[in-house]
Amino acid sequence: MIIGVDVGPTGTDAVLLDGGGTGGVTGGSRALRAVRVPSLPGDAVGSLVAAVEALPRELRARASQLAVGLRVADRALAERAGLAHVGVLRIGGEAADTVRPLFGWPAELRDAVCAGTANVAGGGGLGPRDGAPLDRDAVARFGAELAGRAEAFAVCAVFAPADGTQEREAAGILRAEAGADVPVVLSGEIGSLGLLRRENATVLDAALCLLVARVADELTAALPLLGLAPGAAVLVTRHDGTLMSLDHLRRQPGLSLGSGPACTIRGAGLLGGVRDAVVADIGERRARVGALTAGYPQEAGPGGRIGGVPVSLRVPELLTVGAAAHRDLAEAVDRMQPAAGRLPVVLVGGGADSVPGRALPGCDVVRPEHGGVAGAFGAAASPVGGHHERIVRAGPGRRLDAVRDEVRDLARAGAVRAGADPRRVRTLLEPDLTVPYLPGALLLRARAFGPPLPL
Amino acid sequence: MDAGVLADFARGCAVLGSGGGGGPAAVTCPVAEQAIEECGPVQVVTAGELPEDVLVMPVGLIGSPAVAEERIGSRAEPARMRERVEALHGVPVAAVLISEIGGLNGCTAVAWAARLGLPLLDADAMGRAFPRMDQNVLELAGLRPGPTVLADEYGRTVVLDHVDGPWLEELARAVVATFGGHAASSEYPLTAGQAARHAVAGSVTRAVAVGRGEGPPPVLTGKVSSVRRTDEDATRVLLEGTGADAGRLVRVEARSEFVAAVEDGRALALVPDVIALVDVRTGWAVPVEEIRYGLRVRLVTLPSAPIWYSEAGLRLAGPAAFGVHGLTREATP
Repeated sequence: MIIGVDVGPTGTDAVLLDGGGTGGVTGGSRALRAVRVPSLPGDAVGSLVAAVEALPRELRARASQLAVGLRVADRALAERAGLAHVGVLRIGGEAADTVRPLFGWPAELRDAVCAGTANVAGGGGLGPRDGAPLDRDAVARFGAELAGRAEAFAVCAVFAPADGTQEREAAGILRAEAGADVPVVLSGEIGSLGLLRRENATVLDAALCLLVARVADELTAALPLLGLAPGAAVLVTRHDGTLMSLDHLRRQPGLSLGSGPACTIRGAGLLGGVRDAVVADIGERRARVGALTAGYPQEAGPGGRIGGVPVSLRVPELLTVGAAAHRDLAEAVDRMQPAAGRLPVVLVGGGADSVPGRALPGCDVVRPEHGGVAGAFGAAASPVGGHHERIVRAGPGRRLDAVRDEVRDLARAGAVRAGADPRRVRTLLEPDLTVPYLPGALLLRARAFGPPLPL
Repeated sequence: MDAGVLADFARGCAVLGSGGGGGPAAVTCPVAEQAIEECGPVQVVTAGELPEDVLVMPVGLIGSPAVAEERIGSRAEPARMRERVEALHGVPVAAVLISEIGGLNGCTAVAWAARLGLPLLDADAMGRAFPRMDQNVLELAGLRPGPTVLADEYGRTVVLDHVDGPWLEELARAVVATFGGHAASSEYPLTAGQAARHAVAGSVTRAVAVGRGEGPPPVLTGKVSSVRRTDEDATRVLLEGTGADAGRLVRVEARSEFVAAVEDGRALALVPDVIALVDVRTGWAVPVEEIRYGLRVRLVTLPSAPIWYSEAGLRLAGPAAFGVHGLTREATP
């Protein structure tokens, strides 16, 4: 049995699923119980405990997995609260200095986050010879300068998604100078090409790490109170609609940004029995519309922002309209359709009943039972996930199949690092994408899914 | 040009990109913003305000926008490029010319002019965006591309000399591939007098006006009702009119850029006309590769510089040059 929890701004939902106890449920699971309790302001773990305790004790005792959408990271960024002071290290030097780190950030967010920035020589390119050697001394000086002042570091090297060696080396130097316990977040593990957006995402990650570590500690401490089965796995939601372990959340807190809507979209699809659909989550005041593609939320394209900052994160694509503005809702639903052959529309959320079918003309409307707890259901019924992508240049002597296998293996490794059972991970190679104006270049992408490793 | 005008300018450049030109300046706009912040606003002048024989340096980025987003470049590049160009010509550079106003290169030139403390000509070499380097009005005027200077952000430099337009395109692409997919370029060097006679005049002013929505009214307001990528290079978009335009259906054909807008078999606009689909929600023109079903757009068309409609202009960048068949343009003398 699995418990899924969604800590919302006003209410916290918990559902209990008969998922066989191993996670990775993709169908056939039933919600046995669903409860809703008021959320405790500023206390996500307390809200979670209250919701789980509202489930019958004898059923809880059979739960082998708890999957939680805490939404603490989103809230912290919105409120600029609980953020760490981050030392931002760019590795690119004079070859990458036309836009300085944190340029264009809202001033109060930058002030809340920035402990200092440096841009040191180094960085890579599309090929191994395109880069420059790392200025280790400059990294050491930056580490020493910020020792005791920076609570975390964000490191972003030019072309790190293709080769993360210099970032790892810099992390070692920073730890030697500023303390072995200081978290160091590396951009190559966060995002893909696009230096500024990836750097921003890395800084947000570093800024969130103390907060999520504290929440993870609180959650771990609260576990004995919940009365779950011995050795139950605890997972949290991420923004691609999959799950990760608490340890992975500590390493990459930014993965949890946007996970609330992601789980709702995925849960809506599972509850409605559809893998491709438009999902409208109707709240009291706002309706959020997203799309479900092959069972997972459709990602936002480039140009996504979090907290006013352009970032490269795989957050779900969403359109937000007023809940009562049915014309706007119909337009948003149409915009999220992938083609004129209309997909069904799944209506979930507390306000779903207030939207009459005639507000969405021509649409096949699905109103699943338990649609009010789609987020908690999505958390309970999702696997642990991982992904990897890489730009490669096809050419003579370049074995693309071998690279595809490697990308697949790295996606698998990502899922295992996030807490998946290595024996049961399956991978999915996405179609290759071409890169505009870069002849012969392909973007290879793979995703991986698996049930959590039992404790 | 200060930071306030820059935002309108970038928006206008996206429209003039006609769906291409490397997208709406996600990287180069902040580059220009920071350059203006550090070095002050850029003076925009007409070529006629400068002495006839002073040297004008055209600038732009070539290669992959995806790589340009990663390799954001060095603040030292403009000075190095100027030094190289001045050494080749033996005279100082007096002004900067935008090679391609459409897409991300308009903001690049603004950044370079700011860093060099040079005026920016209210002009450019295309009046829009085209995929090839030799598809520009200076080529049509019979100017030579060389010496063309290509450089990466480390200062590695290649000079192409004694090349014609097609050779420039071929050699420059090979250099860009060796540079890892991205380079800064200064091609078709010229004097202020030549710029006054041959470049597309008023491009900067026009981009700012278009960015402020002061252009002609949209041809159609509607939604993208289908997108079909017919092969690697060609995309076909159907627009369904909404509101006052309900019932109208317009087909838009694209290659790297939008090349034709057709209603009831009649061309509403045809390359070299500028054809842009502007997202009604964001106000930004959408690149060809990001067009998808359901987008609510305004179809905006603008005429290009008159020389593009001459016989030579159409041969270089008319419908046939983009493989558009069945729709032809009459050359204007």
